Amino acid sequence: MISLPHFLIVGAVLFGLGLVGFLTRRNLITMFLCAEMMLQGVVLNFLAFGKYHGHLGGQIAALFIITVAACEAGLALAMFLAIYRRTKSLDSGVWQELREDRIPATVDTDPLPTFLEDPDPVLTPAGARPIRAEEEVRV
Amino acid sequence: MSDLDPAESALIALGLPLIASIVAALLGTAKLGKYAHWPVIVAFAAAAAVAAGAMLKLSGMTGESISASSASLTWFQAGSLSVTYSIALDPLSAIMLLTVTFVGTFIAIFSASYMHGDEGFARYFSIMALFVFAMLLLVTADNFLVLVAGWEGVGLCSYLLVGYYHAKPAAAAAARKAFLVTRLGDVGMILGIFLLWQLGGYRTDFNGMFEHIATHPDTHGQLTLACLLLFCGAVGKSAQMPLYVWLPDAMEGPTPVSALIHAATMVTAGVYLLARCAPLFVLAPDVQLIVSVIGGSTAFLAAFLAMAQNDLKRVLAYSTVSQLGFMFMALGTGGLIAPSLAVTAAVFHLFTHAFFKALLFLGSGSVMHAMGNVIDMRKFGGLRKVMPTTHLTFLAGSAALAGVPLLSGFWSKDQILDSILEAAASGGTYAGGYLIVLMVAMGTAGLTAFYTFRAYFLTFWGTERVPEEAHGHAHESPAMMTIPLIVLAVGAVAIGFAVEPLTHAFSDFLGRTPALVMANEIAKAPGGGHFDAHEHPHFNWAVAGISSAVALLGVFLAFRVYGNGGPEQVPDGLHGVYTLSRNKLYVDEIYYAAIVKPAELLATAGRQIDQFFAVLVRLVGSVPEFIGAAVRPMQNGLVQFYGLGMVLGLGVVLAVVILRSTR
Amino acid sequence: MIPPFASLEIDPIAAGQIVAAVVMGTLGLYFLLPRPRGRSIALGTFLSLGTAGMIAGFLITTFGQPFPNLVENALFWLFAAGAVGFGRVLVMQSNPARGAISFAFVILSSCGLFLMLAAPFLMAATIIIYMGAIVVTFLFVLMLSQAKGASDENDRSREPLLGSLAGFAFMGLILFTLYVTGPRVETRADAAIVEPLLPATGIRTADKLLLVAAANDLDLALDPDAKPDEMLMQAKQARTRLLRVVGSAGEPLDANPGRTIQDRLRNSETDVRIASIVAQADKVRVLKKTSLDRLETALLDREPKLDEAREQLKRLRGEVLILAGRGELPAKNVKAIGYALYSEHLIAVELAGTLLLVATIGAVAIAQKKGSVA
Repeated sequence: MISLPHFLIVGAVLFGLGLVGFLTRRNLITMFLCAEMMLQGVVLNFLAFGKYHGHLGGQIAALFIITVAACEAGLALAMFLAIYRRTKSLDSGVWQELREDRIPATVDTDPLPTFLEDPDPVLTPAGARPIRAEEEVRV
Repeated sequence: MSDLDPAESALIALGLPLIASIVAALLGTAKLGKYAHWPVIVAFAAAAAVAAGAMLKLSGMTGESISASSASLTWFQAGSLSVTYSIALDPLSAIMLLTVTFVGTFIAIFSASYMHGDEGFARYFSIMALFVFAMLLLVTADNFLVLVAGWEGVGLCSYLLVGYYHAKPAAAAAARKAFLVTRLGDVGMILGIFLLWQLGGYRTDFNGMFEHIATHPDTHGQLTLACLLLFCGAVGKSAQMPLYVWLPDAMEGPTPVSALIHAATMVTAGVYLLARCAPLFVLAPDVQLIVSVIGGSTAFLAAFLAMAQNDLKRVLAYSTVSQLGFMFMALGTGGLIAPSLAVTAAVFHLFTHAFFKALLFLGSGSVMHAMGNVIDMRKFGGLRKVMPTTHLTFLAGSAALAGVPLLSGFWSKDQILDSILEAAASGGTYAGGYLIVLMVAMGTAGLTAFYTFRAYFLTFWGTERVPEEAHGHAHESPAMMTIPLIVLAVGAVAIGFAVEPLTHAFSDFLGRTPALVMANEIAKAPGGGHFDAHEHPHFNWAVAGISSAVALLGVFLAFRVYGNGGPEQVPDGLHGVYTLSRNKLYVDEIYYAAIVKPAELLATAGRQIDQFFAVLVRLVGSVPEFIGAAVRPMQNGLVQFYGLGMVLGLGVVLAVVILRSTR
Repeated sequence: MIPPFASLEIDPIAAGQIVAAVVMGTLGLYFLLPRPRGRSIALGTFLSLGTAGMIAGFLITTFGQPFPNLVENALFWLFAAGAVGFGRVLVMQSNPARGAISFAFVILSSCGLFLMLAAPFLMAATIIIYMGAIVVTFLFVLMLSQAKGASDENDRSREPLLGSLAGFAFMGLILFTLYVTGPRVETRADAAIVEPLLPATGIRTADKLLLVAAANDLDLALDPDAKPDEMLMQAKQARTRLLRVVGSAGEPLDANPGRTIQDRLRNSETDVRIASIVAQADKVRVLKKTSLDRLETALLDREPKLDEAREQLKRLRGEVLILAGRGELPAKNVKAIGYALYSEHLIAVELAGTLLLVATIGAVAIAQKKGSVA
């Protein structure tokens, strides 16, 4: 099929994006979603080659891939829950225990941006006239 | 006992002290140290008896040259070198054997009382017995390697015994000095042995080697070097110039040790070596001259230094050096007169010297024992009433040493002077040199008498003074100490007259040593032809008269100056000479500055270089550490970081694979 | 070591496109990844769009348009842009819930691509399983473990530059490999003309129809209610059809010109695909002869025992179908997948089932709170 390279490249781009996300993002859930995206790229690859060769081997492999992906997702999420229970955080940077003896822990130094939280709106009690500030009319 | 082959008797005589040494050591470890002297004394006495029996048996054997050798065990074999443990008994060895064991027995008896109550009693006797074993091994060795084994053994035991009081720094230093200085000589000796092995047709046993060298004249050029190297060893062990400096310091050891080792036995090993190798030395007249010259200069120098010493034992030590010089003077005349005569003179003097020098040392030990370990002559005096036996025996020994006529020292010294005179008159090569040596020898004889009697008068005459260390009760020594003194005094007085002048028993017996017979045959007399093997030593009335006169003059001078004992008064004008003599001609200081100090600097420099290499090695070792420290931060425990590393690496690998396969 | 590029002819424009795509992509994602400082969404988006354009340009200049007609082309580019765009959103989104939703859209787009690759069953299965099950489960877990406001895990990235470089380096390598080994258009001037550089795999449509019709005839022949003579008639009809496609057994395969298979044989003898097709065709020929002979023999009896003949006919039908299926993917996708799964990949299916079971048990075990009753 002459459109083979096109599909392969789309698969490659998906794989690459997933790889970047897996290596850089720190939230465990996001990491895992990026891993799933890598799998999607691989599935595209299989299917493209299956169509190219004209038989169903690619689709069957893709079927098995999503089966295994499903198992993997289940187990991973169970583990994320367990991890969350231990450290109350889904940050993968928390787990640094297996570093070398004399290396200090990696600590983030940039302060996170703080968002001003809008305070919850305060409602006037029922039956009272709401107090409104004087409006300034500018022309 | 009389059925025993002499060589087997020698083996027994060797084994007894060895067993005694082990038993004494075991007694020491078993807390029975105070009985350690019994096995040693018994072993020595038995060995002396066996030695005497062997000598009788040997002298009863017929033949021009007599010897008996034991069956040999192979020690080791390496290529063309094959060494055996074998001992042989010939007259020279037998005489040495008997001397060592006899004198050793009495010194052991003396030591048992002298060292009584000392903490290392068992150690002392064990090492003394080991020493006697090593010395006997040395004198009965049939090949060079066993001789070297014995040589090293006596060196070791000398070190151990001189450093007996090892906690005293001066004693430890003296032991070290003795060992190291003799070591210098030993290096030369071993090199000489290597050379002789090669020259002697790759054989190590004496007789085979001597025969080979005698029959191969083309080796005689290198023989001079080999003999010179052997003489180096003798210089070290027998304390000749320039390696005599260890002997006076070795007086730090207990006095019986000085008596045994540094008077009678160990220091005579050099004389024995040259006597044994007489067939070689006669073929090297240059070396013989050197031997005589060094012997003569040492004798004179030592006599000069002995004149102003305050320590009684030091005087006796220098006296030993001087007398050894006499023996070497005699040995050096070997080629110009019959070698058997030269060697006989030296060995006879060795024999008599053993008696009177051991006697003098034991006497000084007795004095020390009474004076509370004080030996400085300035601190005591006039002891002839306090210690009569010691006094009389000491007098006998001093007279023998000085060469008073008819005592043993007179006969042996006379033979030496006679042989030097004959060598000077023989007209051979370097004959004139021997004349100078003769004059030096005469002068030294006079000095000997002088300093010996100076020491005698300072100790035993004058007002009676006893140092405080004696705690007020200075008394004669107990019987166990005086009996050996008396026996040795009898020997000092009579033994010389008994064996030599009239009967020539000694020289006849000694002349039948195979080595001397061979030497007689291969030496060429200055006037052509060979020496008469059966020549007896002559008695030259002129030499005897002059030497007696010189000796008596020395005694008289000593009496005039020191007759009243007391503090020493140096006549004006001789102060410079006196100071030089007191300070040993500053030889020790010169050696220190010229040799020891540069060696120390070299060692320090070497250590600095070693430090440099150590730093270098540590630098090399720090490279992995450095690399590790540089690489370690990669393991920071973050999984994504590891993943990134893997991916980048995989990328590189893939790139290589793709680029290589899409060609 | 010969320098890697020594014997390759690389069009500098293509090389420039690849390198530019990699560099722009790296920088683009670097600016997009969430960080407390230094994040620039506008710049990053601009660079990412540039990257996407560069890759698309590379594809078109090197390999031409993917499909011959406009509709399929448009659909392809639409779905591709959707997948890549939503993927980018997933990677840069700091809120994980929004990330999960964009992941759902990625799945949707790539399922569109699946459809274009003739895999309708897989499209449906993916949508159901991924979007329906996995993303929902993720959202549940997110709900249970939400962080308030800005937090470490959402707003920081680990090694953004090196990570982007890693991913885009991979992509660049794949682009390069495709460039060197893929089916390129001859010159850029011919980019608009799409020439089939490779012979179409499989067999001609006409032949395929004949094979399918033959398979239908055999189906009818195998009907349990069929009478023997009906069976024979259907079988003969199948034979006629098959003769026209594969020829008779015993004839050399190239004896009859004009057959598509023989044509192909002449064209390229080393093509693996052709060889397998030819092998299959031969098998069909042989089986056709033996099964029909069997049937005729069996029918000669008074009380015919037709079980064996039935078996053979069934086998023939299977082989015919397989031969037919070696061309285009069958429209009866589910059936074909099922058939292939349970014939060739049976053990894999069983293992996958076991895997699912174990994963379920494992997940339950891990997620339990300590000390609670199972």
